[in-house]
Amino acid sequence: MPFVTSDGELIQRAATGDRSAFEDLYQRYARPVFGLALRRLGDRGRAEDAVQETFASIWRSAGSYKPDRGPGAPWLYAVARNAIVDRARARNEIPSEIPEEPGSDPGPGDRAEQSWIAWRVHRALEELPEREREVLALAYWSGLSQSEVAEFLGIPLGTVKTRTRSALAKLSDILGEDVQ
Amino acid sequence: MTRFEDLVDLEGLDATEVARLRRVHDLLVQAGPPPDLPPALERPPSAPADAEVKEFPMLPRRRWALVAVLAAAVAVLAFGGGYLVGHAKKKPTSFETRFVVPMKGKNALALLRVAPKDDAGNTPMELEVNNLPQQKAPGAFYELWLTRDGKAVVPCGVFRVNARTTTVRLSVPYNFRHFEGWVITRQAPTQETPGPVVLST
Repeated sequence: MPFVTSDGELIQRAATGDRSAFEDLYQRYARPVFGLALRRLGDRGRAEDAVQETFASIWRSAGSYKPDRGPGAPWLYAVARNAIVDRARARNEIPSEIPEEPGSDPGPGDRAEQSWIAWRVHRALEELPEREREVLALAYWSGLSQSEVAEFLGIPLGTVKTRTRSALAKLSDILGEDVQ
Repeated sequence: MTRFEDLVDLEGLDATEVARLRRVHDLLVQAGPPPDLPPALERPPSAPADAEVKEFPMLPRRRWALVAVLAAAVAVLAFGGGYLVGHAKKKPTSFETRFVVPMKGKNALALLRVAPKDDAGNTPMELEVNNLPQQKAPGAFYELWLTRDGKAVVPCGVFRVNARTTTVRLSVPYNFRHFEGWVITRQAPTQETPGPVVLST
């Protein structure tokens, strides 16, 4: 089930000094930001710094978010991108493959598109129930077979497949037009 | 295994629904796994006013915008581990878990459950390892380490395995903010330096 409060609403609340809204944003986006930074900077330490700077920027500049200009995810992506570019510039390494606008058409290459897709998918994964997220992670990225996943989790194979199907359906709902 | 037909029970689904699920499957494969958050990122940026940060200073290289973030995170305590908690295997246990760190290796997995720090400053941990080979050499063991710059630097405890799944409890007095993750190494008898890594975060 998608989060009750939208990203945009959380950004607006953070702009008023609402700490719990800021923490909710962190929970939703810490992993996507870290993933984006890791891909672009290639160094875990610098990626950690970029995550921290991203959320410091979010806290500082949440008031600049205009909901009538679009949802929160692209705005957050832009803030993260700027923090990562700043971090790269500190070492004279500009990650030019990060697009100015997510999904904007002229120009973005495959890597930029990949970054945006990963950003959206990793963000959507945060909305799944824990047991479904766990099954997806094991099924897709652990290298285990479905039978091994079932054995590892101590649940029937049919339950693994049912949860996988349910998780994919929910992800489709969350991702919306991205899967059209 | 990431073949769509092998992963999903398609029985009873119409073609439209199958196509919808397949599109999500393709996106998951394309996106790749989300990264494991290092311990330092388990919570939102905090500040010196935070009691825990006072007790455990930040790394010098952290160049945070502390003043701006100060108000944002003072009251933050245990932060839900999001995806990491999602890896937690639910089982009846009295072990109070603050966050869970999954570890992966060739044909082996582990979950490190980390409890809140106790009054004395120790952090209890419960490590569940699955499918690590049993050591044949007497005195051989596995060892859990904290890592920095990709290297095992601080030992967190040793253990042996004698079953497909082995669960051990360990406790350390360290500040995890100074490290980036964990690894488990295979140790020969009397070996004191880190051996080959068999599992890592």
